[in-house]
Amino acid sequence: MQEKPNLHCRAARLRSCWWIAGCLMLALAAKAGPANMVLIPNGLYHPLFLSANDLKEVPVKSFYLDAFPVTVKDFLEFLRANPRWQRSRVKRIFADESYLNNWAGDLDPGTNAPASSPVTYVSWFAAKAYAEWKGKRLPTVAEWEYAASASATRPDGESDPRFKAEILQWYSTPTPLVLPAVGADTANFFGAHNLHGLVWEWVADFNSALIAGDPGSNGVSERRFFCGAGSQGAREVDDYPAFMRYAFRSSLKADYCVHNLGFRCARDL
Amino acid sequence: MKKTKLSFALATALLMTARLSQASELGTNTPVRSCCAAMETPGSVPAYTDKSLYQVESTWTTDTGKAMKLGSLAGKPQVILMFFSKCTSACPILMNDLKRISAALTPQERTQVGFTMVSFDTDHDTPLALAEYRQTWDLPVRNWTLLSGRQDDVLELAALLGVKYKAAADGQFAHSNAITVLNAKGEIVHQQVGLNEDISETVQTLIKLVKN
Amino acid sequence: MKAKMVKTLGALGLFLAASGVWTTKSEAQSAPAPEIAGVENAVLTDAPNVPPPITRKYATKVIVDLEVQELTKRLADGVDYVFWTFGGSVPGKFIRIREGDEVEFHLHNHQDNKMPHNIDLHAVTGPGGGAASSFTAPGHSSQFSFEALNPGLYVYHCATAPVGMHIGNGMYGLILVEPKEGLPPVDHEYYVMQGEFYTAGKYGDQGLQTFDMDKAVDERPTYVVFNGAVGSLTGDNALTANVGDTVRIYFGNGGPNLASSFHVIGDQFDTLYQDGTMTNQLHDVQTTLVPPGSAVIVDFKVKVPGNYTLVDHSIFRAFNKGAAGTLTVTGPENPIIYSGKQADTIYAGKPLAETPAISSALQPIKPEAPSLNTALSEQYTRGKQIYLQTCFVCHQPNGLGVAGQIPPLAKSNVLMNDKTGAIRGVLQGRSGELTVNGKKYNGIMIPFPKLTDQQVADVMTYVRNSWGNSDSNSVTAGEVKDLRRGVPALVANPFE
Repeated sequence: MQEKPNLHCRAARLRSCWWIAGCLMLALAAKAGPANMVLIPNGLYHPLFLSANDLKEVPVKSFYLDAFPVTVKDFLEFLRANPRWQRSRVKRIFADESYLNNWAGDLDPGTNAPASSPVTYVSWFAAKAYAEWKGKRLPTVAEWEYAASASATRPDGESDPRFKAEILQWYSTPTPLVLPAVGADTANFFGAHNLHGLVWEWVADFNSALIAGDPGSNGVSERRFFCGAGSQGAREVDDYPAFMRYAFRSSLKADYCVHNLGFRCARDL
Repeated sequence: MKKTKLSFALATALLMTARLSQASELGTNTPVRSCCAAMETPGSVPAYTDKSLYQVESTWTTDTGKAMKLGSLAGKPQVILMFFSKCTSACPILMNDLKRISAALTPQERTQVGFTMVSFDTDHDTPLALAEYRQTWDLPVRNWTLLSGRQDDVLELAALLGVKYKAAADGQFAHSNAITVLNAKGEIVHQQVGLNEDISETVQTLIKLVKN
Repeated sequence: MKAKMVKTLGALGLFLAASGVWTTKSEAQSAPAPEIAGVENAVLTDAPNVPPPITRKYATKVIVDLEVQELTKRLADGVDYVFWTFGGSVPGKFIRIREGDEVEFHLHNHQDNKMPHNIDLHAVTGPGGGAASSFTAPGHSSQFSFEALNPGLYVYHCATAPVGMHIGNGMYGLILVEPKEGLPPVDHEYYVMQGEFYTAGKYGDQGLQTFDMDKAVDERPTYVVFNGAVGSLTGDNALTANVGDTVRIYFGNGGPNLASSFHVIGDQFDTLYQDGTMTNQLHDVQTTLVPPGSAVIVDFKVKVPGNYTLVDHSIFRAFNKGAAGTLTVTGPENPIIYSGKQADTIYAGKPLAETPAISSALQPIKPEAPSLNTALSEQYTRGKQIYLQTCFVCHQPNGLGVAGQIPPLAKSNVLMNDKTGAIRGVLQGRSGELTVNGKKYNGIMIPFPKLTDQQVADVMTYVRNSWGNSDSNSVTAGEVKDLRRGVPALVANPFE
């Protein structure tokens, strides 16, 4: 993708600087990708729970990820364009009774849902519908976890004990009634904000967390309830943040709407 | 010879009637657990109610190559199973559970209940593969639907049914073992989780749905 | 024909048998349930209170509604912590039911909570103790039911991964399954539960503290407390009872890591239901081991008023980490059982280390009898005792001192000619050059301000009438008193 501008530039070297400037702008635009999305490069995801025949490392193809969680303002646009997703009209099968609970009205977020705070109280179906409307999709667990494994300064935050400690600290702080605006934190190594410390986030295959409902047993899946799961063991028992995300996803059903659960979108290259 | 066969048939009929009446008594004693929508008396024309799964827009292909929306299943209670054909562990047992449920119904009831199996394995379980599967496992032609669909639609249906699944590296799938009953409108009224489970509740649910 | 008949009959028989099996199976599925009569909502209480004893004599259906709340509360003075609680406090609500009850359990996860939660009750017989059926996302509820098969006092706790963190944040409580015949009545029932907290900061570091996973894994708690906070059972929050009352403490240990050596300072456990079971009662126990995830019931009758301290007898936890509480008992004294302090006297034992030239036997000083008019001889006798306790160390029992270092008192011109100076020396010490009997001394005499006026007068009377000294006028307490007024010590007092 980067070769094109170079060719152009080589060819037009003898012409005025305009062309060079134009090339540079093109190059920048190409690198930046879609608006407010960051490029997550090729990498490896280390799944938390593994069966004997699972890969210890799952390759993740590079993709674009929203730099921020989807905001109330973003979601309001979606509701204007898609009235069947408004609170009073949504089908109960696609969102439970808490859908957009903190909004004042169908198209009125109200004081408890400021425009630049992440949109929450949305179900998986609603999140998916939004992503599709934007020509995007939800990230997979592997993509999300891989993007979130980077700390502010390194692509591999796993070996940074401070990084883990900071995340654990979030679990010790209560959820405010009104969520703060997105983007107030330092972006991580890949340029994404708020992957930690703001809200839980939906992923496309959230229902791949095969815990029977007693995740206390370190994720040893019950043969009776799950076909093929065998005996799963946790890769790293002291990666508590990952544990807790896993546990949280396991507690969800697709129609659930939760106060501190939002989402962001992904896109293929 | 004929007399023997006749008396045999008579005895069978008598026994079946006796068991039926017993079964209905049991129905009033054991409470049926509805997990989601209340069991409504289905009208003659089922509308897509708020909780009906048939509201989804997805298109599927049967093992005979026919394209259909899930709404085509409306009008009869459906027993839904998500599976994949290459499964060697739980799915055969689940399939057997479906057969047991079917066998527990009277022939009359059987005509009024549908069994639908949807595959996780969008790569391998093409309509042709599913047709082979039907042959291999000797599944009835009538009222048994095998569906193949897009990955995204499978994900959505699993989410609606509350079924968890995960693709493993070797092409197998780890998934929750669940048999779900939808009423004629497509609302979830019962779910049986586990292997080789006691099917009586599921059977009772179906009998009640059919009766009404 | 016969063979065919047999075949038919056989087939029929088989068929009958098969349907018979079917019927039997169906009948077995509806086995008679235990006799449950009525429905009631469980009365739930916060520690240290306990729901009232159960009076009904039959099993009933009990509905329990328990809400999980994640909230910030006080852990110690000036120290806050975000606790994850069953019902808004640590420990969680006390649940009281009866053996045989059917419990319909509703676990509610408040919508503002961050984490999913579930519950494992040790009284439940079934997968996860209920945890497998109660895993709940925030803003949702789960319901399951169980039959209380076993009587006893049981712990319950959250079992969501990571389990240690959920428990470490306060998610534990007690459920009592009363035996059918109930427990013997007592005057007071209290609910106390021990638990540890692992904070990033040190003990007492102010402000909002966060959970420290490393300390938890290493089992190095910052706080070990009763009922979720330092001081939860002290001061105004102390447990109370009157003399003669019977007290029952339902004591549990939520852990997550440490076993507790539960002890009440000043009393014994008259009856102890070991490990919370009804079948093993011990008597007259001083300290009982309560492992994490276990509980004990202790009954004791308080007979003497005072403050009784509940502790974990791993004693640094009690005094340095917060594992101490108080039971205040009021009422009449009982000097037979406990007299209180009967005497407070001076005691001087044999010197612990060897000192030169000490020969005389030492006698304890009898308590001073207060009196304004005392005869010389009485003063002499008393003064001798004081001298042989105190002064002899330097001035020697024979009053001769130590050559070149300590001036003599025997036939001392300074002592006899300067009475005021001598008294002052005892009161405020002495230093600097001093010539006694023509010999120079330059040492320090330490002051003895703790001797009373009378004692100083007595010992002065004694030395001024010993070893050749003679003074028929005794030194009076009044003289000493006058000299003492406003007299600062000239030399640093080693006794202070």
